[in-house]
Amino acid sequence: MEATTLTENVSDVESSESMTFWNSLKEEVRKTYELLFYNRWPSWLAGILMAILALMIFLWHFPWGISGGYHNWGDWIYYLSGITDARPLSPWLHPVSVLNIGMIGGALISALFSREFRIHKTSRLEYLKGILGGMLMGVGSAFAGGCIEGGFYTAIGIFSMGGFAMMVGLGIGSYIGLRYLIWETDNMPANPAYRQPLPSQKPPFFNWSQAKPYIGGLIVLAVITAFYFYSFFDVTEIGGLCFFGMLVGMVMHRSRFCFVRVFRCPMMTGDAEMVKTVSLSLVIYAMGSAVIKWNFLQPDMMGVYHPFWIGSLVGGVFFGMGMIIAGTCASSALWRMAEGNTKIMAAVISFCIVNPLVVEAVKYSGIEHLLGKGLFVPKVLTWHVTLPLYALFFLLVSQLAVWNEKTEKFVIF
Amino acid sequence: MSAEHIKADKILDTRGLTCPMPLLKLKKELKGMKSGQILEVLGTDPGSKTDIPNFVRKRGSELMGITDDAEGFTRYHIKI
Repeated sequence: MEATTLTENVSDVESSESMTFWNSLKEEVRKTYELLFYNRWPSWLAGILMAILALMIFLWHFPWGISGGYHNWGDWIYYLSGITDARPLSPWLHPVSVLNIGMIGGALISALFSREFRIHKTSRLEYLKGILGGMLMGVGSAFAGGCIEGGFYTAIGIFSMGGFAMMVGLGIGSYIGLRYLIWETDNMPANPAYRQPLPSQKPPFFNWSQAKPYIGGLIVLAVITAFYFYSFFDVTEIGGLCFFGMLVGMVMHRSRFCFVRVFRCPMMTGDAEMVKTVSLSLVIYAMGSAVIKWNFLQPDMMGVYHPFWIGSLVGGVFFGMGMIIAGTCASSALWRMAEGNTKIMAAVISFCIVNPLVVEAVKYSGIEHLLGKGLFVPKVLTWHVTLPLYALFFLLVSQLAVWNEKTEKFVIF
Repeated sequence: MSAEHIKADKILDTRGLTCPMPLLKLKKELKGMKSGQILEVLGTDPGSKTDIPNFVRKRGSELMGITDDAEGFTRYHIKI
């Protein structure tokens, strides 16, 4: 025993003598890389990081949203196909579009670093569900004044009452969507969704798997360079959004953070994890934005435009159905697309095409005033009542989800 | 026991499907199986690597192993 200890001590001394500064640095970089990109990040950590990043985006420019960027991309589709003459704002200068592009970049970096990037193909039925789900989400966002991210998460985080109405709508829509998926599982024949890759006749010219982390490193450099590039042309704010987007994309991909699970899992498996995570995240987000708004760092009504209550509720129902059928929401679509999911790409394209159309239709149909208007919660309840009520509400919601996990009272399958 | 030596009573092919379909099909399949039987799930969705173990643990079944196949999909062996 003593001999073993002595041998270990001698080898320790030898290894410490041969350990140069660069060797030590190399080892630490390797350990950090493995910690960050080989393991999944816990969802509670992602929830906290998401709230912090959302608050930083709020302080930097505006309350975080996603669907505005999709709208801009849709406008470009119509402009480039000659359907409209009005040239939209460049996607490289549109704040939400740039944020989305940053998110795709961040998720791509994460997928490449972890060697998880891969083109995922699926069956025709799944592509059809992606397209239909994307269309429904596009309709829902148009009514609710935002997607699940802007119309629910951010809306609640910045005290817009429409967020709560959308939450109810998302619950109803998720129930309908899940009922359809259960029907499909029971009644539709198993559809071959996978095609065996053909065996290659000769060794590949280039080993992409080995190169993936280096390509990821190049994208990190590209995003950082883009920030300085924006700054050089006096649009630092836009460059900052690209950088924040990259961080959000990385956090979401590493933790596979998905808002859909908040509404789907309690009814499908009873799992309460994402309900607890998003409740925690929303309490942090709301407390942070209370500091920002109550202290007049940003205007009270900033971002409070969600049509309470009909618009948000109806939008939530459409969006909820769409996200369950497509298997993604507007924000998780960006990171899933970046890891090579082609069904989600189809969903994003149909979202982009439908959303601007329905926004215009709502505008010109004259029903806008019927949908409701932005309502700032502290204006009605005062700050002193709103803050403890928020904390209590989300504590109750998470405890209800935990109870459901144990009893499966709301599980429908 | 390595994955090649596990003899499954049933195979569920979810390759090409994305979240939540693999989990939904797994839940349906498990309902029709008896205690002690082994189900082999084939999947390509990266999310399943966390979803399936969590679901199996919550359900009180045993996840015997997860193996990445050379052809780019993953095998999950579940004992009911």
